[in-house]
Amino acid sequence: MKRPFTGFPPRLRRLIPAFILVGLLALFLSGCDTDTPQNTFDTKGEVAKKQADIFFLAMWPAIAVMILVLGGLVVIMLRFRETDPQHIPPQVHGNTRLELAWTIAPAILLLAIGIPMVATIYDLGREPSEDAFRVDVIAQRFSWEFQYPEYTDEDGTPLSVFDQEGFHIPAGREVAFYLESVDVIHSFWLPKLGGKLDIVPGQTRVLWLRADEPGSFSGQCAEFCGLNHADMRMTVIAQPQAELDAWAAEMLQ
Amino acid sequence: MASIAAPKRSPLSEALKGVRHAASDYGSIWSWIATVDHKRIGVLYGVSAFIFFVVGGIEALLLRVQLSQPDANILDPDAFNRLFTMHGTTMVFLVIMPMSSAFFNLMVPLMIGARDVAFPRLNAFSYWTFLAGAIFLNASFFTGDILNGELGAPDGGWFGYAPLNLPEFTGGHGMDFWMLGLQMFGIASLAGGFNFIVTILNMRAPGMTLFRMPVFVWMTLVTSFLVIFAMPVIAVALFELTFDRLFEANFFSAEAGGNPLLWQHMFWLFGHPEVYILILPAFGIISEILPTFSRKPLFGYAFVVFSGVAIGFMSWGVWVHHMYTTGLGTVANSAFGVTTILIAVPTGVKIFNWMGTLWGGSIRFRAPLMFAVGTVAMFTIGGLSGVMHSMVPSDFQQQDSYFVVAHFHYVLFGGAIFALFGGIYYWFPKFTGKLMNEPLGHLNFWLMLLGFNLTFFPMHVSGLLGMPRRIYTYNGEMGWDLWNLMSSVGAFFIAASVLVFLVNFFYSLRRGKESGPDPWDARTLEWSIPSPPPEYNFKEIPTVNSRDHFWSTKYHEDETGHVVPILAGGAVETAEPEPEPAEDDAHGHGIHLPSPSYMPLIASIGFPVVATGLIYDYALVPVGFALILIGFFGWAMEPATEEE
Repeated sequence: MKRPFTGFPPRLRRLIPAFILVGLLALFLSGCDTDTPQNTFDTKGEVAKKQADIFFLAMWPAIAVMILVLGGLVVIMLRFRETDPQHIPPQVHGNTRLELAWTIAPAILLLAIGIPMVATIYDLGREPSEDAFRVDVIAQRFSWEFQYPEYTDEDGTPLSVFDQEGFHIPAGREVAFYLESVDVIHSFWLPKLGGKLDIVPGQTRVLWLRADEPGSFSGQCAEFCGLNHADMRMTVIAQPQAELDAWAAEMLQ
Repeated sequence: MASIAAPKRSPLSEALKGVRHAASDYGSIWSWIATVDHKRIGVLYGVSAFIFFVVGGIEALLLRVQLSQPDANILDPDAFNRLFTMHGTTMVFLVIMPMSSAFFNLMVPLMIGARDVAFPRLNAFSYWTFLAGAIFLNASFFTGDILNGELGAPDGGWFGYAPLNLPEFTGGHGMDFWMLGLQMFGIASLAGGFNFIVTILNMRAPGMTLFRMPVFVWMTLVTSFLVIFAMPVIAVALFELTFDRLFEANFFSAEAGGNPLLWQHMFWLFGHPEVYILILPAFGIISEILPTFSRKPLFGYAFVVFSGVAIGFMSWGVWVHHMYTTGLGTVANSAFGVTTILIAVPTGVKIFNWMGTLWGGSIRFRAPLMFAVGTVAMFTIGGLSGVMHSMVPSDFQQQDSYFVVAHFHYVLFGGAIFALFGGIYYWFPKFTGKLMNEPLGHLNFWLMLLGFNLTFFPMHVSGLLGMPRRIYTYNGEMGWDLWNLMSSVGAFFIAASVLVFLVNFFYSLRRGKESGPDPWDARTLEWSIPSPPPEYNFKEIPTVNSRDHFWSTKYHEDETGHVVPILAGGAVETAEPEPEPAEDDAHGHGIHLPSPSYMPLIASIGFPVVATGLIYDYALVPVGFALILIGFFGWAMEPATEEE
């Protein structure tokens, strides 16, 4: 039986999978340091940072296992390819010790990364702190509205801001977003500040985030909500408290 | 047999006798329509699934064209939403599931040494109900104002989240077609699931104990159990949705006191076992291919089988990982995070055992093997990104981003579809007597591998750069354009590979080399009978003495411990006499096969009639139910075997 790809130079043929792997890895890693508006690695706050830590905690072992398995497959394919069509290899049925080893070892590895994972879940899953700046977010197809209970007009009505006017939050202070939806499920996501939280109609969800420095952060609805889901975007500007207060005072006029 | 049926001959069966005789002519189209032969039903499943694979693929290409550049205007958001809804629904319910059913049908009876499945007419009913549902669902495209470019298909996503799935948000009839179509697939799958459980438990050849069964049969058994437990869950969810949509009930509307998250719990309690319903048959297929082409038994049979069973059980305890961001709280997220990372253990066991199978073998680089090894490699990547998803804190960033899209395509395309292609290349000779063309097979494989990675690997990056799923367009400043362009180009490579496959398929069907009964020097029973197998499969039901029984009739260990052929040419003879014209032998040997029947088809046609009635005019509902009842009644009354 003829081996396939006899037309290719053997050396080149052997390297094909390696080329693919290295190329893809290079590509993948090049994505990490791209400065783009919603880059989840370009973290600007505590929540996003801790989530990225967990990402890398899982990513490096994953890449190691990937290289082990894919590299192993390439080695096996080269080393054990058929040379003599008449040859029948020994009929090995298994090796219980080996199999137990590759059952138990991954379980230990996985539980090992599971411990910091659970710790981070509890760390980030806490209630917002007492002095957090409260913003009520109202999601509706296909726009956002921010209400600021800390800034009220003479009647006690909180300042309300829509997309086109720009959303503002304090920098360096925890912000508690009280999320509500008036229609379907949306998901509130500011990637550089932290992961998303779904907004389920009829319920109020609280998400706390913190922007360490002043800056402008891009986000958008992450749960499919119908026709113009893609257009449900927002930009949130974090600024020092004094500037924020001044902005609010101006808005209330 | 005839004497059992003779005393009570109903006028109905008398009248249908003539029609049924037409169906007995093995060449006619009627013989396909009325067939109850598992091999023909398998072919019908396979061909239908492949047609829908092309349809779902074209939908994907349209989506990729729209996303190839920022702010593109090739599809409007409405069309985009309908197409991605149909793409997902099609690939899950109309492609991978029925393609797996095709292999269950084709292979299980042959592998366990049976002449057919336990309930041949129920089997036909499964297929026709699936097809009825598939046509019904796709018909929804035409309910829109299609001449003006408005498609009418469902637009709520394949997951149909509440309350978006309610009429106030998804108007028109698209979602009605979706929920009723899905209900039909559920009925078809349930019937198939029960059928294969009974077949595998009751119809194995003498000596074929459970632990002598080929792994593919084991995986079919596990999958069938998952089907019969998972489908009722989605059925209940869909019934509730039907009440909400058609009769203004309040299961899911928050406004009226319902709970939108109820839908998600039911959908994913079905949906996660469903993932394993899609992938376990693929695991079974490669567990057959790898031993054959490395000429070694499967490494650690018991581990592979039990890890499959363990996955089956564990798949019920991980559904919340689809819902980390819905705010279920730290305890729920921690618990389901841990169960989810642990499901990687039995999956990893399989991967290592497959590598152990190849290790020390004499590996023949034939197309089926390439696809099987490709499956192991690509599924590994998908499995690892799955572990990354299980990590709750980082999943808050990845959820509903393109990272998820990359992950599940690595699992379902890199895993399931690659394996299914491998299965086609592997078993094509068994059912056609012809070998598929090898160079075209390799071209098919490498094009698909290249296109697949070019399409889906960049999605990891675009996802981590913050690109959400299901958006019809994006802004050029987001830094996603390069990655999306790569994905779009890759999609066309995949399309090209499928084209190569089709050319290979039809070319080999006409001009392929004769394969003989056992072209791969394989290990399982199906290769001991002629290719294509006679209508009755086994002239004599074999007696099985060991796992890989067929192999043990061909090879044994000599005194020095080397594996040597038993006798030149002895292999096929001991297993089964050389293929010979056996068509009319069947009756001579007293092999009774179930007669063809139109009744399953009649019953199946009733379902889309009921569904259409529910949407447009209740008057049709009783008509549909009448058809179903007539089908079932005729089915129960007609004799199982035609009198001679």
